[in-house]
Amino acid sequence: MVVLSAARWLRSRLSDRFWRVQDVLKYARHFRGRKNRCYRLAVRSVRRAFVRSTKARKEKKRFLRALWITRIEAASLEHGLKYPAFISNLLKSQVELNRKVLADLAIYEPKTFKSLAALAQRRRQEGFLAALGDGKEPEGIFSRIVHQHY
Amino acid sequence: VAKTSLTSPPWPEVKLPDPVEEAKYHAEVVRKVNGLISAGEYGRLFAVVHFASKQWKITNEDLIMMDNVLEAECGDRIRMEKVLLVGADDFTLIGRPLLGKDLVRVEATVIEKTESWPKVNVRFWRRHNFQRKKIIANPQTVLRINTIEIYPCLS
Repeated sequence: MVVLSAARWLRSRLSDRFWRVQDVLKYARHFRGRKNRCYRLAVRSVRRAFVRSTKARKEKKRFLRALWITRIEAASLEHGLKYPAFISNLLKSQVELNRKVLADLAIYEPKTFKSLAALAQRRRQEGFLAALGDGKEPEGIFSRIVHQHY
Repeated sequence: VAKTSLTSPPWPEVKLPDPVEEAKYHAEVVRKVNGLISAGEYGRLFAVVHFASKQWKITNEDLIMMDNVLEAECGDRIRMEKVLLVGADDFTLIGRPLLGKDLVRVEATVIEKTESWPKVNVRFWRRHNFQRKKIIANPQTVLRINTIEIYPCLS
């Protein structure tokens, strides 16, 4: 005779429940309290932890940029320049270093940072003179734009 | 005429030094630095290089890890051309924005091409039965900076 469906006493039951539970608990082992042992509590905590880490990966970039800006501001104030003046004058003198590298230079290469601050200060003064005079007076040396061909 | 708040600009009076003397001073500085470079009296050189859309501050024997694929086999020597800044203890050469290729030479070797650790991306919206899980492993490349050299051709 042909049997199309299995008998009622034959059930399909999970055999690897232990490993499925361990897959979740392994991410919760360093948590505090019962959520590092009990599956029901751990599932919620692990899910929240993953969601927070995905969101934090985007915010880490914003946070690090703010940190670099604070450090560059502190270093440029030591040399008598404010951060907006420093950055804007560096960009006007065609020096395109980003904030990460400027912060590293401020920490590990103080002499180089001092020379960059002096460059920004000189460009700032030439900008003031250009704004005041605005005639046929000679442009400052550091305000000249360099045209490079590769 | 009476002095108001707008007669003089809000910044302090600025006087630039004499251009002729400045030119002499600049030429002297360039000559000294050229002499130092040709005599080889610098210690360790550091450079700021623009590579893989990021800027790195590197020295000799440095390891660098990039979050992408490089079309070079392991063990290939690579020359990095976009150098923004080169410095030693006594002098720095600042490029505007890049330094010339005949002035600096930065060599690196590709050491390793692996994948990153499996990062878990989970999006979850509570009470809306919405949960997505994705595991991402970015390809990474490890380079070692072999040498940074400068040649005395300043002007």
